[in-house]
Amino acid sequence: MTPPATPIASIENVSKRYGGVQALANVSFSIGRGEVRALLGKNGAGKSTVIRMLCGVEAPDDGTVTLGGTRLDRPNVRLAQQLGVRAVYQELSLIPYMSVAENLFMGKWPTSRGQLNQRAMVSESEAALGRLGLRIDPRRPVAELGIADRQMVEIARALADEPALLILDEPTSSLGAGEVDRVLQAVETVRRSGVAVIYVSHRLAEIRRIADSATIMRDGRVISTIAMAGTSTREVVEMMIGDMSHEDRLVAGTAASGPVAMSVQAVALAPKLEDVTFQVRAGEVLGIAGVLGSGRTELLQIMAGLRRPDAGEVTLDGASVAGRGLAHGKRLGIGLTPEDRKNDGIFPELGVDENLVVTDWSRVSRLGVIGTSRLRSAALRAMASMSVQARSSRTPIANLSGGNQQKIVIGRWLHAGSRVLLLDEPTRGVDVQAKAQIYELLRKLAGEGASVVFVSSEIDELTLVCDRAIVLAGGRVVAEQQAPHIETDTLLLAAIGENDTKGTS
Amino acid sequence: MTTVQTSRDASSGERTRGGRFHPTTQQLNEGGLAVALLLLIVVLGARSPYFATIDNMWAILGDAALVGVVAWASTLVIVAGEIDLSVGPAVAFWGVVLAELNGKGNLPLWLAIFATLVGGTLVGALAGWLRGRFGVPSFIVTLGLWNALRGLAEFMTNALPVPIRSSGFLDTLGGKLGPVPTSAVIMLVLFVVFVFVAKRTTYGRSVFAVGGNARAAMLTGINVLRIRVILFATSGVMAALLGIIVAGRLSSGSSSAAQGLEFSVIAAVVVGGSSLSGGRGSMLGTLLGVLFITVIGNGLVILGVNSFFQDVVRGVLIVIAVLINMLLTRRGGADTQ
Repeated sequence: MTPPATPIASIENVSKRYGGVQALANVSFSIGRGEVRALLGKNGAGKSTVIRMLCGVEAPDDGTVTLGGTRLDRPNVRLAQQLGVRAVYQELSLIPYMSVAENLFMGKWPTSRGQLNQRAMVSESEAALGRLGLRIDPRRPVAELGIADRQMVEIARALADEPALLILDEPTSSLGAGEVDRVLQAVETVRRSGVAVIYVSHRLAEIRRIADSATIMRDGRVISTIAMAGTSTREVVEMMIGDMSHEDRLVAGTAASGPVAMSVQAVALAPKLEDVTFQVRAGEVLGIAGVLGSGRTELLQIMAGLRRPDAGEVTLDGASVAGRGLAHGKRLGIGLTPEDRKNDGIFPELGVDENLVVTDWSRVSRLGVIGTSRLRSAALRAMASMSVQARSSRTPIANLSGGNQQKIVIGRWLHAGSRVLLLDEPTRGVDVQAKAQIYELLRKLAGEGASVVFVSSEIDELTLVCDRAIVLAGGRVVAEQQAPHIETDTLLLAAIGENDTKGTS
Repeated sequence: MTTVQTSRDASSGERTRGGRFHPTTQQLNEGGLAVALLLLIVVLGARSPYFATIDNMWAILGDAALVGVVAWASTLVIVAGEIDLSVGPAVAFWGVVLAELNGKGNLPLWLAIFATLVGGTLVGALAGWLRGRFGVPSFIVTLGLWNALRGLAEFMTNALPVPIRSSGFLDTLGGKLGPVPTSAVIMLVLFVVFVFVAKRTTYGRSVFAVGGNARAAMLTGINVLRIRVILFATSGVMAALLGIIVAGRLSSGSSSAAQGLEFSVIAAVVVGGSSLSGGRGSMLGTLLGVLFITVIGNGLVILGVNSFFQDVVRGVLIVIAVLINMLLTRRGGADTQ
């Protein structure tokens, strides 16, 4: 690893706090021309804060950010762009019903005599796409393209401004294996033209193919910058995790082994799930780990009956679930809480009480008429048992903290009498105290005989709460562990090391 | 230490903010509108001796019913994030159907009325089904109905009124019970029913849930399609009922009845504080909105304002009312964010 002579971008001794959280502590980082650098770390390690600094979205409390020799002293996105920084995020930002060419030139469409110059736009687009080795007709609307092609158009758009530094944030998370190759080839082309690339991903196999070196972050610090060639996946994982203390595990001793409640057999859903088989027992918390784009959410939706798999079967106590619809799953006793609480979970204007009972009005009503006191007592009971803090049971749920909202979203399935709870990232955007309460709630439910399936991208959580954990990678279950022998490093290794022969042995 | 401190501060701040905010928005909306309405009545009463009379008050209520009977159902439609543009033509069309069935068709009146109400329900349900099953925007579905129903009514009647055989029942329906217009009584009875439905029934609350977050509603197992079908069926049957009342008033079915009704209804609902994007609204607000619009119309006539210019005044006042409403809500809304 040779340090670049004149870095394109560098960060020196940078610290940043958000409220009480130290997001970055004395971080230094630099990247030179034609270098591809992977940025690795668990959620919350500080990767996105580093990216925000480089893009000029935020300024450090301490330390310096330098782009091409110019210091960035205050948040200044435009200056960062002028200095040649472009970022491509995982959420695509193209406008579907406009053409590829129009998207590439968004906001700076070439004109001649006051008219859009379509011809110039199309030919320049063809050239820009060609440089990435793409053969896409620029006149086609973006909506007709596959996700991989859209991702490439996004990259082409960033390159159109001839950036010095290109930041790719999980560019392959929504792609199938075959499509990943095309993105990697494009990155290789970009690198050869002298652009510096920061590549954020959890997929080590990809990183090995594309990056010379990786900077590993943990808890707001840079742990090390390593050459990919000489480092095994296990070493990388150990650096990402650090010393784990297991003192506060909530699972005591051996895992419960109730009867099998739910059975997932050979489920496939292109392009993410190929052949997934596992079982969920009564009275256990089963953790599912997997990187972004591993198909976790899709799997839960299939298990709830919401999504029909291409192949395979899901049964609950012998009754078929897959493809039968959410209402059918609900009748069988399955409850699903969505990943995106704000957009898919809550009814912001409705009170806590109605947000809770919405899964089953019949318990608080007669002939369709709601009993006010029954509604109130059902809500108060749930609020007390889950320690939900709200001014009254009729307070609009939008006024509650994220953690309290999440408890209600889980609680609505308890209200409906669900015995299988499928929880998709239930602790996302939730403060520390509420997290602990949610963990306790899950343990309590399992103790009462329910089956809890807990999907989380924070693998440490799984070791704390789960009786058993499985890892989803490459469309399959690649690892399984039983408490008390659930180890963060092994799970993470399995999750990020897909198709990686070096580290998985 | 610091972490604990901040999180505690944040949550208690949220709670006090929530406490101040919740009772206010709706009260601001409705209270403000009630004050505006009272002001309007006082000003009009001072300007004209004919305005503040008992007879005129009853007349206002009778006129209000011509909007109110469908406005309650439309409130639910709008709370659900939908829109029904077809109510005006539907009122005309079902009035014509009643006249045709009872007059030319020689059907007994009760059967003609029954058939008209069933027809209104079915056409509404069809609109709701097209919305819910295929995702056709309700704006488009009901715009289609808006054209088709008016056109059909004109086609059936050659745009001429179709007389209805006189009957005591229809005369009462279009006339008065003592000093009180029958339509006003019907409107107020329906108001109570719809307040109950909106606030106390599982269906009503599901409408608010679907309007507030349709995806979340689907994910909690609410049958969103069924809700949407019932919504538009209700709107359809109310339009048919108003068609019957109007036919009773006119003693005929007229294809040109209820011109522009849909816009009066939407204006009343929005002036009443319901959000066109769904999830928020109240029946009381709509009642005040209906009265507000009717009082303006009545006052302008009594003051002898040029009839073309009346539309201008009405339009300006509606926009001002909604603007004030938005400003009040935004102040409340900023608190929650």
